[in-house]
Amino acid sequence: MARILVVDDAAFMRKMLGDALSKGGHSVCGEAANGEEAVVRFTELQPDVVTLDITMPEKDGLTALKEILSLDPSARIVMCSALGQESKVLQAIKTGAKDFVVKPFQPERILDAVGRALS
Amino acid sequence: MTREEALIKLGESTVEATAGVLETFAPGAVEFGPVTVIETGTPPLATVDLPTVAASVAYVDGVKGGNVFVFTGKGAKLLAAAMMGSETPEEGDELSELELSAVGEAMNQMMAAAAAGTGSALGKEVEISTPTTAVVTTDEEAAELCGDAPNATSVTMTVLGEPARLIQLVPNAFVVRMTRALDDLAAQLRGTDQPTEGHVPEESMRHVPVRVWAELGRTRLPIGRAVGLAPGTVVELDRAPDDPVDLFVSGRRFARGSLVLVDGEWAIQVGEILPTGDPITTEVEGETV
Repeated sequence: MARILVVDDAAFMRKMLGDALSKGGHSVCGEAANGEEAVVRFTELQPDVVTLDITMPEKDGLTALKEILSLDPSARIVMCSALGQESKVLQAIKTGAKDFVVKPFQPERILDAVGRALS
Repeated sequence: MTREEALIKLGESTVEATAGVLETFAPGAVEFGPVTVIETGTPPLATVDLPTVAASVAYVDGVKGGNVFVFTGKGAKLLAAAMMGSETPEEGDELSELELSAVGEAMNQMMAAAAAGTGSALGKEVEISTPTTAVVTTDEEAAELCGDAPNATSVTMTVLGEPARLIQLVPNAFVVRMTRALDDLAAQLRGTDQPTEGHVPEESMRHVPVRVWAELGRTRLPIGRAVGLAPGTVVELDRAPDDPVDLFVSGRRFARGSLVLVDGEWAIQVGEILPTGDPITTEVEGETV
């Protein structure tokens, strides 16, 4: 069981991710709707894992990823991307994201990715 | 390649990607018609019944344009329910914020897939904005949503039994690039379809290694289903167990034969050498250019 910060601009995705993670025995300790909020919440909550959407308004997932990692190089971050964003996913992994899932995904996929990020 | 042909090609790749993603939310409940080019000067949403739910995504690489998905309120509620794994939508006719967000997310995923397709056709990455989803009630709002795009296409769809429409607003720059990309592709294909002089390569060429592989069968899946395949899923192919397998040499179908075991490893016994100029290759079968 881990404390997870869920970051996605779509309320729907935050709910789906939250439901899947709760069913998998994790707890959602906070949510954020853009990269700016994600960095603030990360500092406040110190979660075990962050799920981070890539395409978001204000500040996108890649920028937030860099900022979070500069605050805490050991932060465990799983990127959530839509189909067709392979180059950004690759960039995220090179930057230091632990894993990624591609939307639309089955609930097990996100649990697997969080599990791998924790191991 | 004319402007109209380029627009239709772009529209087709977009609607296929879009339908593929919708299929993952609503399996078996997505149909779409042909792509039509909207005449310049005609408001793209002129024939859509209002009010309607509209989700739009813009391109962000400096060119004006994007895609607008319009759907009935009932359809949007059904889609949102399907995305949440339920068959019955939330009560009431009004869309809740969560339902609007679900439709926006569907649009985001559809357009990311479509942009990837457009990008590979144009040979250039196409970035998209986050989606905007709203209920459109007046002609003014509808006109504002589409701006003054110089080129637009429309595809009529049926999703979960409800009518939907996908409008693509195409910047001139894309039409130019698409026309060029399609012309290049056509030229390339003409080049590879030319039968080569003689069957035996020049002496100096004989040491050049080529890739050889055998193909057991193939199938077509919407891209959305393909990425959603879970371990254990069975994907049916188009061949019976006794059918001959195809042998390919550097992408060109070269021979047919039977699968045999030699010293406990798979091998192919060649039965028939195909004539040169056989147009079927691994990469482009089924493409019409």
